[in-house]
Amino acid sequence: MKLYCLSGHPTLPCNVLKFKSTTIMLDCGLDTTSVLNFLPLPLVHSPRLSKLPGWVSKDGSANLEKELKECAGRVFVDSQPEFCLPERELLDLSTIDVILISNYHCMMALPYITEHTGFTGTVYATEPTLTIGRLFMEELVNFMERVPKAQSATCWKNKEMQRMLPGPLKDVVDVWAWKRSYSIQEVNSALSKVQLVGYSQKVELFGAVQVSPLSSGYSLGSSNWIIQSHHEKVSYVSGSSLLTTHPQPMDQSSLKNSDVLILTGLTQMPTANPDGMLGEFCSNLAMTIRAGGNVLVPCYSSGVIYDLLECLYQFIDSANLGTTPFYFISPVANSSLEFSQIFAEWLCHNKQSKVYLPEPPFPHAELIQTNKLKHYPSIHGDFSSEFRQPCVVFTGHPSLRFGDVVHFMELWGKSSINTIIFTEPDFSYLDALAPYQPLAMKCVYCPIDTRLNFHQVSKLLKEVQPLHVVCPEQYTQPPLTQSHRSDLMLELQPPPMPYRRCSVLNLPHRRRYERVYILPELANSLVPSEIKPGVSLATVSAVLHSKDNKHTLQSVPKPPPVAPSKKRKRVLEEPPAVLAPKTLLSGAVPLEAFLATLQKHGFTEVKVEETADGHILHLQAEDTLIQLEEDGTHIVCDNNEPLRTTLRDLVLRFLQKL
Amino acid sequence: MDRECALLLPGVCAVLSGSGSSLPDDTSLEKLLDWFTGITEAGGSLLEACPCLLKLISTVVHNAASDPGVLSFALRLTGLLAATEESFETIQEHSVLNEVFNLQHWQEAGLWEDPCLRIGWIQGLRSMLQHPKALSFFVQSEFIDPLLQLQTDTSLFIAAAANQMLAHILLFFQPVPPAGCKGVDTKEKDDGMTPSSTDYTAVVKSISGYLKESLVPKESKNVRQSLQTLKLLALLLAQAGPPLRDKLLQTVGDSLEELVTAGSSELTLPLMDVILSACSSSGTDERITRLLSSMLNINKPADLIHAAAAFLRRGQHDTVHTARAVRILLLPLDIMTGQTLLGTISTADEHQFSVVEQLKSKSSCISIICVCLSNTPQITLTPPDVLPCLPVSIVTTVLSLLKICSGNSPSSSTGCSEVSRNVIGSGKVQKCALEALTTLTSSPGAKERISEVFTVLIQYLENPDSDPTVLHKSYQALLKWTSVCTDFSFITDQLRHDLVEVVKKRVCDMRWEVKDSTVEFLGHLAGVCDSIKAAAEECDSSEALLGGCSTTPLLREALQDSESYVRASAISALAKTLTHRWQQGATLTEEEPEIVSRLLEILSQDSEGFPRRAVVQYFISWYSSHSPPSSSSSLLMQSVRSVLSQGRADLDWEVKVHTLVLAELLLDEAFSGHPGYKKGSDSHHAPPHAYGVVSEQAYTLHTHTATHTEGAESDLAVVVEQGVVSVLLSGLVDCDRPVALKACRLLITLRETVCPLSLGALDASAAMATVSCELPGCGWGREIIKILKMKKSDQAKEEDIADQRGLNGAEEGADSVCVSVCEALRSLGLDERMEVLTQSSDHIHNSPLSLLQDILTASATHTKPGEEVIVDCY
Repeated sequence: MKLYCLSGHPTLPCNVLKFKSTTIMLDCGLDTTSVLNFLPLPLVHSPRLSKLPGWVSKDGSANLEKELKECAGRVFVDSQPEFCLPERELLDLSTIDVILISNYHCMMALPYITEHTGFTGTVYATEPTLTIGRLFMEELVNFMERVPKAQSATCWKNKEMQRMLPGPLKDVVDVWAWKRSYSIQEVNSALSKVQLVGYSQKVELFGAVQVSPLSSGYSLGSSNWIIQSHHEKVSYVSGSSLLTTHPQPMDQSSLKNSDVLILTGLTQMPTANPDGMLGEFCSNLAMTIRAGGNVLVPCYSSGVIYDLLECLYQFIDSANLGTTPFYFISPVANSSLEFSQIFAEWLCHNKQSKVYLPEPPFPHAELIQTNKLKHYPSIHGDFSSEFRQPCVVFTGHPSLRFGDVVHFMELWGKSSINTIIFTEPDFSYLDALAPYQPLAMKCVYCPIDTRLNFHQVSKLLKEVQPLHVVCPEQYTQPPLTQSHRSDLMLELQPPPMPYRRCSVLNLPHRRRYERVYILPELANSLVPSEIKPGVSLATVSAVLHSKDNKHTLQSVPKPPPVAPSKKRKRVLEEPPAVLAPKTLLSGAVPLEAFLATLQKHGFTEVKVEETADGHILHLQAEDTLIQLEEDGTHIVCDNNEPLRTTLRDLVLRFLQKL
Repeated sequence: MDRECALLLPGVCAVLSGSGSSLPDDTSLEKLLDWFTGITEAGGSLLEACPCLLKLISTVVHNAASDPGVLSFALRLTGLLAATEESFETIQEHSVLNEVFNLQHWQEAGLWEDPCLRIGWIQGLRSMLQHPKALSFFVQSEFIDPLLQLQTDTSLFIAAAANQMLAHILLFFQPVPPAGCKGVDTKEKDDGMTPSSTDYTAVVKSISGYLKESLVPKESKNVRQSLQTLKLLALLLAQAGPPLRDKLLQTVGDSLEELVTAGSSELTLPLMDVILSACSSSGTDERITRLLSSMLNINKPADLIHAAAAFLRRGQHDTVHTARAVRILLLPLDIMTGQTLLGTISTADEHQFSVVEQLKSKSSCISIICVCLSNTPQITLTPPDVLPCLPVSIVTTVLSLLKICSGNSPSSSTGCSEVSRNVIGSGKVQKCALEALTTLTSSPGAKERISEVFTVLIQYLENPDSDPTVLHKSYQALLKWTSVCTDFSFITDQLRHDLVEVVKKRVCDMRWEVKDSTVEFLGHLAGVCDSIKAAAEECDSSEALLGGCSTTPLLREALQDSESYVRASAISALAKTLTHRWQQGATLTEEEPEIVSRLLEILSQDSEGFPRRAVVQYFISWYSSHSPPSSSSSLLMQSVRSVLSQGRADLDWEVKVHTLVLAELLLDEAFSGHPGYKKGSDSHHAPPHAYGVVSEQAYTLHTHTATHTEGAESDLAVVVEQGVVSVLLSGLVDCDRPVALKACRLLITLRETVCPLSLGALDASAAMATVSCELPGCGWGREIIKILKMKKSDQAKEEDIADQRGLNGAEEGADSVCVSVCEALRSLGLDERMEVLTQSSDHIHNSPLSLLQDILTASATHTKPGEEVIVDCY
């Protein structure tokens, strides 16, 4: 059993498991933090961004004025943003049989894997994961394609050049592997390979293993996966949550008795409690609105936003925000809000039961009905005519590098009465804001990450008791910034096996058993004998037949009767005659009874000597030794075959034969 | 005992002599006994007054079918009757005592199993044992052993009663000590009531023997007995005179030592109680001191910490042990925070090791740290030579513990990380530490750390994970530290900015509790600022803390809150914030009329009582602190009029009472110069309701220098015009007693002022008679008219026919009517009303007569089944 780790990002994993004869990719996360090195893509011409000075090295030796721009002491690449893909050199991606997706955040690299690599397998995901994942991809493509960038910067990636660059750009690795966004055709083609599965549905892979998704409680349709054969069980835990939010609760008990548990997707904000952050979010929002300012919430178009809207639904009245408009701007805003209402079976119990009532499961429907929440595909069109301030705007992308959020940053950034509230935990807010500096707008960072925290995960692991745990190396030590917080790491016995990008782990689990079927007629011919109560043994002679990872024992075909031939026997070419197997012996020789038997058969002068392993019987008259040991009996006599045979037969009387 | 009761009592006795099962409810016997006890305590002799009781006792005791409850009653009654020597003898003559308290009898009858009877037996004897003869009886009857057995009775009540009884015998009858010895009631000893020394010695001997025997548990199941014995010993040692104390200590000394050595966790605290009681009474007994030392050296860290805490709580002044206890309590904090409180630790390393081990377990760590924290204020107050560190380093330690708790402590400054992670995020430790920090303001040198304190507290307020109680306690601590602060120069712009931002944020919190605490904090801060201003004019803490950020807009916003508690707190906080301006007679700001109109809106429309009460309170504090004439006076008087008329009609009785308080202030102002006016006549009003929003400020009234000896009628006219009289009259007929009572008191005061009944004032009252007020023809006005009409027809039917006609007209046509105020005040029968109102509403049902009648009625119904009886039981 081997694990190939293609991504170093603990919450956007991409691992490949080789188990029995299958090659399974677990998630396909796209590390988007690379876009922070690029300049934002404005929706309308931004004089500020276009006037940024180009970068020239101090000694003037490197001139990348066209490609790199300087803003508030940092250098950004002026090109279409690029993403850091999972490692593609570690193993041949065309050999991958299946890809298991655990949630819509962890599938964004799918087109890069399924297209142009020779991948011919199947992708498994739940319905909401596919639907919302598609929305995310379409949104990404839309964000990129509606503001095409004429130039594509590549000179800065030159090794010689990169060495001279300042700041974070100098230290980024593998820049040549960074790729621009995929096209809508690639998205469609990749998603056409997805096969839908439901929670606890068992999918057989080549007869070798069975895979099955379990509810993980993190987002709509999010799942953990069980990969098991008859005798081994591997659990793959990705983004999971024990909090009561909108998705179906996490199925913990099915993870029990795993041989190996691969643990990824823990919270990125172990010190930020989601409830506290939600409170922060609401109070900062109310504070800004009361002071006449606008609130900008950069967010993804699905997920936490549902909970934020639900929370605001209750908060609006108590904080007297009744008349403040809320805008949700995304190319997929409408679909996201509507899809969330129809995935009833994937929702938490509380929301599921609302399906039987005339009200929709999420209260954002009511916000829309009462005109408190309005959604638009982009800032162009209807939005511009209905836009009213002060207001709250939810829009993407959380990296602040593309999407409608760029426009609002330019619009509101100069005034200190406005506030930007970061709720997505994926990006460092300081890095996200860097190309907008100097910024007068107030910034509030309340990352809401509902994934498991270290306390919850150690409790979970104590309960499900896996034999071995594999996890990203980041989880095996306290966070860099809080090295004293030994409570913010995994402490297990035995210690977890850490991995990093490009690791190949030999998982410690050894396969010891395999299931073999016996055909009925063969089974009929067996003669079991009971060796102790409840345990019977029988010897089998059969032919082992293996196909599609299924093993069957069949009766040995009778050799066809050899036609009498006058030809000279060709001894060497004859198949060896099937020999009847020797009988197997079991049991122990009881000393007292054996001595009595010897006596009866005329061996009178027997001297018994006790040894470490048993006894030595010295038949003095015959000058013969019988060594009785736990796992063997030896008769030592000099060239007296009749005596040996007699003694052997006496010994055999006490043993059982199979 | 009044005659009526005396007449009914024999009948009641007869009922009780029967089976007793027909009692109206199970508290009747207790009530009866309370009544008897009252009579005895007042010095009356029950036996003389009701000889039937003795007969009752003997009948009940001999009746095999008696209810155990009634039997228990009889036992206790007997004790009560025999409490004086004289009646004891009388009862003894009737040989009732022997029968009543005869244990063997009760055991044979199988009644002893009933706990009711056992407690009756103990309590009966307890009441009786007030004189030497009773003691002799007790000793001769050999009751001491059964009593000792009851000490470990299965019923906790009985066991406790037996313990009390044992202590009573030893303490009450101990020989008269030389004058000046505390703890012994010597009053009765002077009457020559010294018990025969043989009886007392016998009792002392058996009890102390028992103590010695039962102190050390033989098996683990006997721990309860040891526990009881320790409790008894602590009771005795706390009050025993020297001879008894020495005797006791001598007897139990060995056993105590054995117990200390055994070191049972369960017994640590009671054992410590005993040792400390012995210490405080015996002073420097070497053996006790040694025991104390051993207790402060036990091996189990958790027990040791509790023992040390118990020692410090007692406030003993023994330097050696105090120093030891202080070290014990500081050690866990030292380990946790890495602050070297104890210098280089000289205590055996083994001890420190075991404390660290204990602290590694989360639950015991939290409990130990909380005990240590709650004792820190006490520790800082111990003499400097006892403290291993400066008191101020303890403040630093609490601060760094608070930082650890919130996960904010940098790694270098913390102590053992395996230990400190146990308290990260623990709300319990946070609360304890904040409480300790609040109390630590009074410790010497604490002020040096004030800037650090503010930083940590603001961090706590800022922390998104702080729960509402933690935030509340942080606010309290901030207020306390502000109140002791005289110099605000330490407040940096950053600190000020942080505080302003966090307060602004917290008033918008999702949780109403947090909004409420924040709004309250703003109010209290204004209050603290005012008191500091009074002390040192130049420093303004509100200014210093909030940097000129006006809190009024935040509070005004909170007036709109959806939670009624927050609205109420915002109103009282506004009052506190504005008080200073009112006192100075500052000009009206633009926002004040808006606030007033919003408040009046709340008073008339709010569906919850709390905000409405707060509104009336707001005007009370405004009215009592404004200094006329000022630009705000007209707004105030105008709004007071609305408040009076709306508050009067409110549905909530507290709003009405507050409205009456406001009316009282107006009366005070109008008549304070008048010779007959007694201000604060209602000073003994009921305590404020627990849930009411009551401003803490006392109603300080400004007195007018102008004399009001003349023209009281014009004052009266003003008061009528303001609507004060209407408030009082409507209050008088209110169905809520506190409202009616307050109104009645105020009306009487008014009557005494403007139209006293004394002859000398008649002339003045003639002029007064011209002042009249209007009564509405419906509601309370109609009630008042009805009363007036009734009084009139009683007193002078022939007089004032015209007026009466007018009154009749009012009733028919529901038109308003004018009546002379004086006339009304005199004719309302205020004094009789007052008498009725001052009695509690259940006074009739609680009288002994009613009780006796109930018992009789119930029995009558019982004998005639089928008739239902309705018992009024509250």
